[in-house]
Amino acid sequence: MAARTRLPVFLALLTVLVTACGALTPGTAADPDRPRTVPSQTAVPREDITLSLTFADAPALVDALAAAFHKRYPRITIEPRYTQFADYVQSIKLTMASDTAPDLAQFAVGMDDIAARGDILDLGPYRDAYGWRKKFPAAGLDQLTGSGERAAEGDHLYGVPAGLSMTGIYYNKELARKAGLSRPPRTLAEFDRQLAAVKKAGMTPLGVGALDSGGLHLWAALLNNAMEPEKYRAWVKGAKGATIETEEALAATAKLVEWSRKGYVGEAAGGTTQNDSTGAFVRGRSVFLVNGNWAAGQLSESMGKKAGFFLMPAARQGARAVSSGFSVSYAISSRTRHPRAAGAFLDFLASKEAQKIVAANGFLPVDEKAAPTPDGVLGEVARAHRRVTDDDGMNHFPDFTAPGMLDPLRAGVQKLLAGRTTPKGYLASLQDVWDERYGSGR
Amino acid sequence: MTAATEPRARHGRTGRRAGRAWRGYLYVLPAAAVYLAFAVLPALHTAYLSLFEWDGVTLGEWAGLRNYREVFADPALRGAVVNALVLVVFFALLPILAGLVMTGLLCLPRSSIGGAGSRGRGRGLGVYRLLFMLPQVVPLVAVGVTWRWLYGEDGLINETLGGIGLGGWARAWLGDFDWALVAVGLVGTWVLSGLCMMLFLAGVHKIDPQLYEAARLDGAGPVREFVSVTLPQLRGELAVALTVTTVAALASFDIVYVTTGGGPGEETTVPGLLVYKLAFSDGKVGLASALGVVLSLLILVLVYVINRLSRTERT
Repeated sequence: MAARTRLPVFLALLTVLVTACGALTPGTAADPDRPRTVPSQTAVPREDITLSLTFADAPALVDALAAAFHKRYPRITIEPRYTQFADYVQSIKLTMASDTAPDLAQFAVGMDDIAARGDILDLGPYRDAYGWRKKFPAAGLDQLTGSGERAAEGDHLYGVPAGLSMTGIYYNKELARKAGLSRPPRTLAEFDRQLAAVKKAGMTPLGVGALDSGGLHLWAALLNNAMEPEKYRAWVKGAKGATIETEEALAATAKLVEWSRKGYVGEAAGGTTQNDSTGAFVRGRSVFLVNGNWAAGQLSESMGKKAGFFLMPAARQGARAVSSGFSVSYAISSRTRHPRAAGAFLDFLASKEAQKIVAANGFLPVDEKAAPTPDGVLGEVARAHRRVTDDDGMNHFPDFTAPGMLDPLRAGVQKLLAGRTTPKGYLASLQDVWDERYGSGR
Repeated sequence: MTAATEPRARHGRTGRRAGRAWRGYLYVLPAAAVYLAFAVLPALHTAYLSLFEWDGVTLGEWAGLRNYREVFADPALRGAVVNALVLVVFFALLPILAGLVMTGLLCLPRSSIGGAGSRGRGRGLGVYRLLFMLPQVVPLVAVGVTWRWLYGEDGLINETLGGIGLGGWARAWLGDFDWALVAVGLVGTWVLSGLCMMLFLAGVHKIDPQLYEAARLDGAGPVREFVSVTLPQLRGELAVALTVTTVAALASFDIVYVTTGGGPGEETTVPGLLVYKLAFSDGKVGLASALGVVLSLLILVLVYVINRLSRTERT
């Protein structure tokens, strides 16, 4: 009897569950009534306003910016909400899609999808009203511009940069002298000879933290100088028909494999994190180190005058200075009730005051003249950055292509370093991810 | 249910009988409700999501069984399952073996810590147990970070190898295509051996001392005693240990995530890691759910087989 009653009860329960699920097609469609773009007026209303700002990079910087902004606009308070970077990238889509979305959000990989859904506002009208084209460097704004569907098309602006980042190569001046090197290389061939000289002197030439993101920085640095920046950017932004399977990219990738085969890249690269490779560099375990400006403060503190910085050299001397970088930038939620106050904050980022705060916190200011060039390795980074901005040479990091691109890049470079894949196979695996996202219109 | 159904035959009044029958369900209700809400429903919801192509935010699109087809067709996903099966050796077989050896040593009739006639109860055993249980107590993320340093280029393991003249063997273990999976697996062995030992020691306590006495009268040595008395009596504990550790291997995530992130290449990528990456980084919630469902089914089948085997042995 018990068994006979149990079955129908179970079936009834199951039916209820399945029908309950049936009503829930996962996700929600975008609300067509929400605004897609900011208003064209910029006047900040006279009322007490609190803006929440969700972000992942540099809490000290954000706190200082919020305080300085509050001083200028006493009736507007910025309430920063910090999330650790890895968690931030994972959760930002849901955060921005929720009804309790913050007013402002740090821009991150995958923001195209968020823009496409209409969860962040097109800042186009503010760009004209505030004259942002003059206040921010073109490359900084370009990286934040797109159609909301494809970053390669359209003129919609989805964020404004506060501080900038850039990768390059640090070197230990003392060890370099020991290996007989007297100056940073000016061409790729000269760098090649220097790496060989260091190797011959019995030291590890190049420190790379390829367990996480160091490997892709090295690959991108080589690629930046091999591939026409405009072609590369078209690929990252998903322009129709763009491809990474080109002769230039193949040559750059082959170079990376060659360096690994010749023992220029530390054997342990694949098992070392970015942080650990930086630590090893400080201890004199490698002469060169692939890393970004974010490490400059740490290196300057621990190595002092021993540390130097240069950009990956191009084939020809005096060629256009190109490097990988992005910005700490902020977007406005389409659910905010105070778009004009949020706009005032974004415009404030271009002010001298804000730029001084940015520089003091170890980021490269959008306006180099805002802060004096610092000494030592920090100064070398700042000067290299100026060359890159002057040459319009700032490329996106390659993982900006698609949210799913980071993994194939990381794993792919590890395989290249270990000789487990060919440059051709590696590029094809990247293009597969690209095709999946943008469609193979080739 | 049996407790509630037995007396009702004597009463014979239908209303009361039905009331009693349902009372049993009433007692189960709180636990069942929690289980239903937090285990069964999410599982069903996951299975449901696996039928969609969904990025986690925008409106999903019905995909039918397409995600499942991809799970079986994609070599990267299949490779992850193979890696997880390799981890079973390190997470389940090695710890059980180590646990048995340690139990055997601790229960030697005349061992200094075991003590004659006090199998697994002697002096110093508490300290020993605590030491081997410690890996279980430390959060796995901390374990992972510690081992990443141990395996590092300048880590303790390479230093030791250099110290004993095997410097040629030194390498960045977690970045080595041939050794990374072994290195990650051994972390699991380290974590789970203590757990197995604890289970077996607890089991040894329950064994009737007369069995040992009888064995000794028959002239059995310590090895024979272990094989003929201890081992068969531990069958239940062995089944539990095998189940727990196999599930830990197949559903592993934290150790891999913290030590290698799945690299080098995809050498240490396991299904648990892929579920996470697909759902949260790549915005493929449907495919991640499908992989999760397949993984759960695989685990269920293996656990069923393990239970089945231990049961037939008993009869």
